[in-house]
Amino acid sequence: MSIQKAFLFLLAVAIALGALVADAPEATAQPATAQPAAGQPVQLHVVPSDGPRGGVTVNPTIDPDRNLHGDRVESHGKGMALLFWVFAAASIGGALFVVTRRNLIAAVMGMVGSFLGIAAVYMMLYAHFLAVVQMLVYAGAIMVLFVFVIMILNRPEDEPVAPTGHVGQVVGGIAILYLLFRLGMLLAHVHVPASAQLAPPPMQLPGGEVADWGTVKAVGSDLFSGGLFPFEAISILLLISVVGAIAIAKPLKDDDGEDADLGEDLATAASGAPHTDGGHA
Amino acid sequence: MGDLVFDIGYGHFLVLAAVLFVIGMAGVLIRRNALIILMSVELMLNAANMTLLAFSRMWGDLSAHTFALIVIAVAAAEAAVGLAIVVAVFRGRRNVDVDRLTALRH
Repeated sequence: MSIQKAFLFLLAVAIALGALVADAPEATAQPATAQPAAGQPVQLHVVPSDGPRGGVTVNPTIDPDRNLHGDRVESHGKGMALLFWVFAAASIGGALFVVTRRNLIAAVMGMVGSFLGIAAVYMMLYAHFLAVVQMLVYAGAIMVLFVFVIMILNRPEDEPVAPTGHVGQVVGGIAILYLLFRLGMLLAHVHVPASAQLAPPPMQLPGGEVADWGTVKAVGSDLFSGGLFPFEAISILLLISVVGAIAIAKPLKDDDGEDADLGEDLATAASGAPHTDGGHA
Repeated sequence: MGDLVFDIGYGHFLVLAAVLFVIGMAGVLIRRNALIILMSVELMLNAANMTLLAFSRMWGDLSAHTFALIVIAVAAAEAAVGLAIVVAVFRGRRNVDVDRLTALRH
């Protein structure tokens, strides 16, 4: 499909362009310095971590210019704007691909592109750890699972979109137009405070350490202090879901052997067409 | 207009998340393939996560990152169970068209 290739090509070009522009001095941080600049003693004031959750709190007394890892990019400037629009277009285009494509593999590929854009947008929100987790878990694990299931049930769809009458189309069109209008008004009226443009200050961890916002250390500290019970509950949930998935997807004993083949033959005969390996049409 | 294009603020992230959510919701509503519906649900979860992270940065509170991490884990569990159900349904019926799954309709 040429539209898929065009989309992927545009995505690659846009990412390359964005990376080039991001290297321009306007939007990038200072060159990476492993150590804080000498002669600038970092003032650390240990605050008692009696926040609402006893977790990570922002310490306003930390010097906001303190540069831990040299990756404090201020989220303003034309380079950042270009990157945002590129990755927003990637995520929305991929999402539209998911909804509109007939071919399931194309839909999954659009989903991966969408997740890539979303991870980049997470990065712009200073959620470095979650951006990496997004790529690992979604694009790496869940989408592979989807591809495997699509390979198992490889059948083209008869009619991918549910039929709607003229009334439904008109009402849906009006609703979408109104939604876009409201979104545009919202976007036009959002006031961007000056403090929002700056990189978020480093976090004061309970142990007295300091970590950049959104990094593994900061998120982990919060996760294992305030979110410890949800974390443990998630582990139980994942175990249950694994066991449940195996139990659900396991073939019944009656389906084994000849009966399963017989059923497949019957289904093939009933559908009136041989079992084609279509789906890439 | 230039401000809208070049000054990327919270509104941009929130509107992007809203657009993604609406696209996912449209996918759930108009598509009939169960796999596409599951993918659209994942899309909506991602949009919610993006909103969480935008407000997290706005308020300077990292606990939204923990919440988003847990949402991702729940989404993974949901995808595993949902895909298992899709496979089980396909095994019995040879299609995953949700409009034709009317066995529970009285």
